Amino acid sequence: MTKQPKVSLRGLYKIFGANHKEVLSYVKNGMSKDDLLVKHRHVLGLQDINVDMQAGEITVVMGLSGSGKSTLIRHLNRLIDPTAGEILVDGEDVMALSEAGLRELRQMRMSMVFQKFALLPHRSVVQNAAMSLAIRGADEATQKAEAMKWLQRVGLGGYENHYPAQLSGGMQQRVGIARALTANTDIMLMDEAFSALDPLIRTDMQNLLLELQEELHKTIVFITHDLDEALKLADHLVILKDGAVVQQGEPQGILLNPADPYIEDFVSDINRARVLRVKSVMEPLTGTKFAGDVDIRDNLESMIARSEGDTSLHYRVLDGKEPVGELHMRDLVKALVPRISSGKN
Amino acid sequence: MAFYDSVFQALGLKDWCAGGSSAAPMSMNDLLAQSTGKEIKGEFFPFPSLDNLNESCGSVLQSRDVTKGIEDGFLAAKPALKSVLDPITQPLSWLLDGALWTFGTIPWFIMIPILLAISWYASRSRAVTIFVGLSIGLLALVDHYDVAMQTLSIIFVCTGISVLIGVPIGIAMSKSDRLQKSVVPILDLLQTLPTFVYLIPLIFLFSVTESKLYGIAIILYAVVPVIRLTDLGIRLVDKDVIEAANAFGMNSRQKLVGVELPLALPNIMAGVNQTIMMSLAMVVIASLVSAPGLGVNVLRGIRNLELGVGIVAGIGIVLLAVILDRVSKAALSRVDMTRVKH
Repeated sequence: MTKQPKVSLRGLYKIFGANHKEVLSYVKNGMSKDDLLVKHRHVLGLQDINVDMQAGEITVVMGLSGSGKSTLIRHLNRLIDPTAGEILVDGEDVMALSEAGLRELRQMRMSMVFQKFALLPHRSVVQNAAMSLAIRGADEATQKAEAMKWLQRVGLGGYENHYPAQLSGGMQQRVGIARALTANTDIMLMDEAFSALDPLIRTDMQNLLLELQEELHKTIVFITHDLDEALKLADHLVILKDGAVVQQGEPQGILLNPADPYIEDFVSDINRARVLRVKSVMEPLTGTKFAGDVDIRDNLESMIARSEGDTSLHYRVLDGKEPVGELHMRDLVKALVPRISSGKN
Repeated sequence: MAFYDSVFQALGLKDWCAGGSSAAPMSMNDLLAQSTGKEIKGEFFPFPSLDNLNESCGSVLQSRDVTKGIEDGFLAAKPALKSVLDPITQPLSWLLDGALWTFGTIPWFIMIPILLAISWYASRSRAVTIFVGLSIGLLALVDHYDVAMQTLSIIFVCTGISVLIGVPIGIAMSKSDRLQKSVVPILDLLQTLPTFVYLIPLIFLFSVTESKLYGIAIILYAVVPVIRLTDLGIRLVDKDVIEAANAFGMNSRQKLVGVELPLALPNIMAGVNQTIMMSLAMVVIASLVSAPGLGVNVLRGIRNLELGVGIVAGIGIVLLAVILDRVSKAALSRVDMTRVKH
């Protein structure tokens, strides 16, 4: 299968400082972030990033503050230029683009949602939502119609003539999302889009995003520092630490098989029953006697409720109508206990 | 025998000194010595200033040569400067004369309603408009209407030109750190140089009968705040919003017109307000070089010690200042309205 990734990063390095090209060789020879800062006064932003982002998937890049995740997303549309490495969008090297080509990429192929909303305070909500079309020079009627359509879709119908300062944070970010959707690009970059919102609104917005994604199948790159959020949204999860990728893959896989103590620590506080799904703990179909049928996408919490805590039960797992495996409640309970981190206890 | 003789001797510069003109103008001490017949003793250890060194060595320049040099240099450059500056600044004369003529010709019963309409349009505030009406009425009551209108017309023209010049310079400064570094000292100079001092070269360059003479003086003085605050305003625009503009592929013109200037507008308006105030301050001083208006009465008050004339004119200037300030501030706060929660 030779499916071309929508976006891929190849050997991406970013060093902040005046002589970043010169000190790159030290980093390639294994100098650490701290040594680089002390000896050469350069800050290592990203090192050797190789990530493929598939079309129609949500790729979540997660890391703590200072891990380089915001730097990484800004490389995709070259708000930041890399020190070394390749950025390919639809197989085309973004680094080779002219200034006009880069603007075309930003206008037509990638839109972005920001942590601090970054709306234009002197423009009304509908003008903000229509911003990308106005930049391209679309006529007024098209701008208004498209912007209104997406404002309705994100639940802001009736607010089009308000100004951003008159809206709450959650509503402002809905405008931000409507602005990105109006651009009608294949790729959407979301930089900590929900981090500034309070928890209830954040859950609402996550659901809205998943709902939209079900319908639109965009390639979304989502940055977050919140593991719960990452696990909820991700089709592909990339974990960053000190500018390097520590582990990437399917989120359930990372949760069950953390690659190193850093990630073990990370995942140990998670409510695993709610995140893990039947698919991740089922076995191949061998038995014949089952207590019932379950769906492959059910999470473990609902299974515990259904079995009323009886660990001796077995269920048949269905994907749609087809039986694909079996679930032993005993395995399920075992999967709930995180592998103890080597650093603690 | 002067103090520094031995120094020049020790340095072996005796011949060079002797080559200098010994017939240089005399110093004060020499004159005194000549007239009283006895040598005046200098200080025990005089500072090695040009005049003191000149006493020991005729080849060293005297301090009066420095001021003379500046004057000669300026006079030598004057024809060239004049041939460039004269045509460039000629429209300023026309504008000023035109404005003075317009304000002077339109009868008061048309002019006052026009001014009130402008105040209302800019401020949308009933209180401010009524205040403007009362102030102009008061000035007219004591027969200061004509001079007040002259002052006002000069301010309108000079502020307008200051904004036209200042905003582009401010924009350019905000885009280039190097330009900012080189322009800021010039702005500091313009703001701190005593206002009388830059009247002097202007008097040399242009004839006192031309209105552009005081026009240039006022603009040079008043353009500074609008440049500074345009530069500052654009630099203070929220970096996140600029990033969003970049991320959606705006080109630099779209960014400037659609994002930076509108977001910097409150600061630019504050700069315009300051510019108006400074041109009002300068228009009084410019009356020294034939600028008409209330300043002439102030000058008359000083020259002839006519206390009442000076004070009435002074209060007239204060009234104009308050009017202009209130109207421009009300316009500024109206611009801010959409930015705040309400």
